[in-house]
Amino acid sequence: MSTHDSTRRTFLAGTTLAGLAALSIRGLTPPAWAAAVAKVGEAAPAFAIDATTGKGVSLADQRGKLVVLEWTNHDCPYVRKHYETGNMQALQKETTAQGVVWLTVISSSPGTQGYVTAKQADELTTSRKASPTSVLLDPTGVAGKVYGATNTPHMYLIDKNGLLVYAGAIDDRPTTRRADVQGAQNYVRAALEDVAAGRAVRTPATRAYGCTVKYA
Amino acid sequence: MSLRSALAMLLCALATTLSPRPVTAQGTEAPRVRVELVSEVAGIAPGQTFWVALQQRIAPGWHTYWMNPGDSGEAPRIEWSLPPGFTVGEFAWPLPDRIRVGSAMTYGYSESVVLPISVTPPADLVPGTRVTLKGQAGWLVCEEICIPEEAPLALTLPVVRGAPAVDARGAALIEAARRSIPTQSPWRASFAATPQDVTLMVDAPGLAADRISEVWFYPARWGAIDLTAPQRVRVDAAGITIDVARGRLTEAAAAPIEGVLAVAERLDGGTVRHGFSMTASPTGLGVTKPTSLASLLSALGLALAGGLVLNLMPCVLPVLSIKALGLVQLAGARAATLARHGLAYTAGVLVSFAIVAGALIALRATGERLGWGFQLQSPAFVTLLAWLFFTMALSLSGAIVVSTRFTGAGQALAARPGHVGSFATGALATVAATPCTAPFMGAAVGFALAQPWPTALLVFEALGLGLALPYLLLTLVPAWRRLLPKPGPWMTRLKQLLAFPLYASAAWLVWVVSQQAGPHGVGAALAGVVLIAFASWLHQSLGGVRALWRRVATVAVVAVLPALIVGMVALAPLGAGARSAPPANEGLGWEPFSPERLAAARASGKPVFVNFTAAWCVTCLVNERVALRSSAVADAFAKKGVVALKADWTARDPMISRILGSLGRSGVPLYALYPPGSPSTAPTLLPQLLTEGTVIEAIDKI
Repeated sequence: MSTHDSTRRTFLAGTTLAGLAALSIRGLTPPAWAAAVAKVGEAAPAFAIDATTGKGVSLADQRGKLVVLEWTNHDCPYVRKHYETGNMQALQKETTAQGVVWLTVISSSPGTQGYVTAKQADELTTSRKASPTSVLLDPTGVAGKVYGATNTPHMYLIDKNGLLVYAGAIDDRPTTRRADVQGAQNYVRAALEDVAAGRAVRTPATRAYGCTVKYA
Repeated sequence: MSLRSALAMLLCALATTLSPRPVTAQGTEAPRVRVELVSEVAGIAPGQTFWVALQQRIAPGWHTYWMNPGDSGEAPRIEWSLPPGFTVGEFAWPLPDRIRVGSAMTYGYSESVVLPISVTPPADLVPGTRVTLKGQAGWLVCEEICIPEEAPLALTLPVVRGAPAVDARGAALIEAARRSIPTQSPWRASFAATPQDVTLMVDAPGLAADRISEVWFYPARWGAIDLTAPQRVRVDAAGITIDVARGRLTEAAAAPIEGVLAVAERLDGGTVRHGFSMTASPTGLGVTKPTSLASLLSALGLALAGGLVLNLMPCVLPVLSIKALGLVQLAGARAATLARHGLAYTAGVLVSFAIVAGALIALRATGERLGWGFQLQSPAFVTLLAWLFFTMALSLSGAIVVSTRFTGAGQALAARPGHVGSFATGALATVAATPCTAPFMGAAVGFALAQPWPTALLVFEALGLGLALPYLLLTLVPAWRRLLPKPGPWMTRLKQLLAFPLYASAAWLVWVVSQQAGPHGVGAALAGVVLIAFASWLHQSLGGVRALWRRVATVAVVAVLPALIVGMVALAPLGAGARSAPPANEGLGWEPFSPERLAAARASGKPVFVNFTAAWCVTCLVNERVALRSSAVADAFAKKGVVALKADWTARDPMISRILGSLGRSGVPLYALYPPGSPSTAPTLLPQLLTEGTVIEAIDKI
């Protein structure tokens, strides 16, 4: 029953988002092909999707807090590199301890790599000792597409005013080699440091690397 | 397990064991990509660079990536463990395909790809020993999902003395890969960016839009352009323009954009795709960024200064000096009269500059790549200019008295109320100034030509104003005229002296004609000079003859001049052709094709290679750069004494069309190799896509 409810809520949230997206397209220059993709330096697109808890999480609720978005797919070799070395978990722990809201988003559609039910997602969080604030389920891909998430991992940072201040890779080593975690420059950490120091993010956009997001 | 599947597994296992040097990815699952290090040569010559390649055979439905994998994915790499002294280059990347995966665009390869790498061994290798090149290859292979794979590579080759033997299989693979590796773009490229779009402009004038079936720009790095967005392509007389949405890296549109331009061209037998590596530099003149006032003002300033300096150049100075001398004699004339002459002169200069600049701007709009002094590319115009300078010089020397007309000496100036003379002098000064370039002018003209036409015109007019200014000021400001020396006999001597810069200018222009039109052109130009001298003598010295006859004789002589020009233009292509081969074909010494030349060469028993080509043919251009210009091909031609003829079909010459038709083709490129011996033997037709190897092989066979 609850699954049914949550699916419907996701659908409703999706419709709202699509509407918002359409509105924002009209406001901007509208190349017909373009989806309304989140742009660094502009307001982060609103979303309201279900967390594994069954409760909806919206960006609007996070006003006044820094928000990290992490697109993931637990079977993707690039994601595994960062989880099996403990790199992603360390960053989650470090940032959430400072009051940052960390939202892990799964946009794999049912039947594709990385798709999980709420229960499986929670099990993964436990088994991998991860500590996101919430894990959001986006099987329709509506949030992923609005953010232009193409890869897993694909990272975003939204500042306290709701502006998107970073979009791109987790670090500067676009490989699956575990050894490359050591000594890599972590762009998310650097962006958080810039924001904490009250200056503009020095590297606000990078090429995300990883597996493609398995949209429907 | 059924018997059948057991058998299948056994066969698979056998095939794996027996296939030549298989290298498989480690792990329990079967690899999606089989890699192998292949070599072009069967042995290593000490110190001599050779090519190896990473061959990837990719399972159906899967793909690997290009150097810029796109929105996702990862390029393959090799970590080498080389023997001491060995160095290797980077991968040479064949043109990739576009692989769209969901909301991402990636660039990569399906089925198979060969990535060549150059290897330079040390010079102190000992022949007779064996060397093993080792490395670990890593790559990402994706279908819906992505799998990183890796495998060890090893290639053992003997060290040999002299030229090593060819490894037939490896050489064939590498040769085929080379055909799809981008060549350096022969065209200049630039781009302009708005917050939404990037417009790439490739200066490739003369391409035939109907032959080009597809154009796509593959950026070398992620971020400058949106990879998923459509690329709106226009091919016109000026070249190729691509409009595409901007990428997500804001700063990427400030730096040059590197990448590969893929152009697919329709040929007789199908479509071929060519890659050109190019770097587009930001023009700074994007739609959003109009020319700053500061840069416009500085260009106007430079143009004005350039115009002023033009007055001192040898082709202009005499004209203007005589004009100024006129003022000396007119010291007593009414100020208003003088000012009117000065203004008429200035108007003459400005109108002529507007005409020249307008023609230049209009021609550039049609895609001609012209600069200041473009008229001088025509030998006929240069000859006319030489004759004009010669006539003016004669008049300054006192040999003819047309000086009043041309240079507006004092008496004539005072005598002409219409100011037509002054206006004409302005026009003459402009014409005389065209072969001269003054300091400061280059920067201003360069700036002007990159601007929209009103700005360009403004800059040219500033240049004209600079040219007109000294004389204009002399006529407008009476105080300045007091600086001029008193009239006297020195004026005649100065006038005669000033003839010599003009003679020198004329001589220089004849030399220019010799470059453009060869000996025939020089002959025509010098014959004209003699005729002008003769005409001036007729005009001046037939004192006893009635004026009418004198005039008729002069006109008759002068009338020969246009005939000379016509003759020169008709002969010019011959002269120019014989002068030198176009620079694009250095090395092979191409001669222009004619059926007679072909027959003569064959009759003398020599083999002949005919290159049917055209300026608008992209494939021809690539073939010339990739194969025909190489020194190895030149050596092969020289060894067999092959006569190289070039049939230029740029203007769709009907004679060449007929010959193409007789060889069963309707278009270019076509490469025909006529073997030596009986002139009736049919030629061998080479493939439309040449490589060094195919050309040399064909030549070696004859």
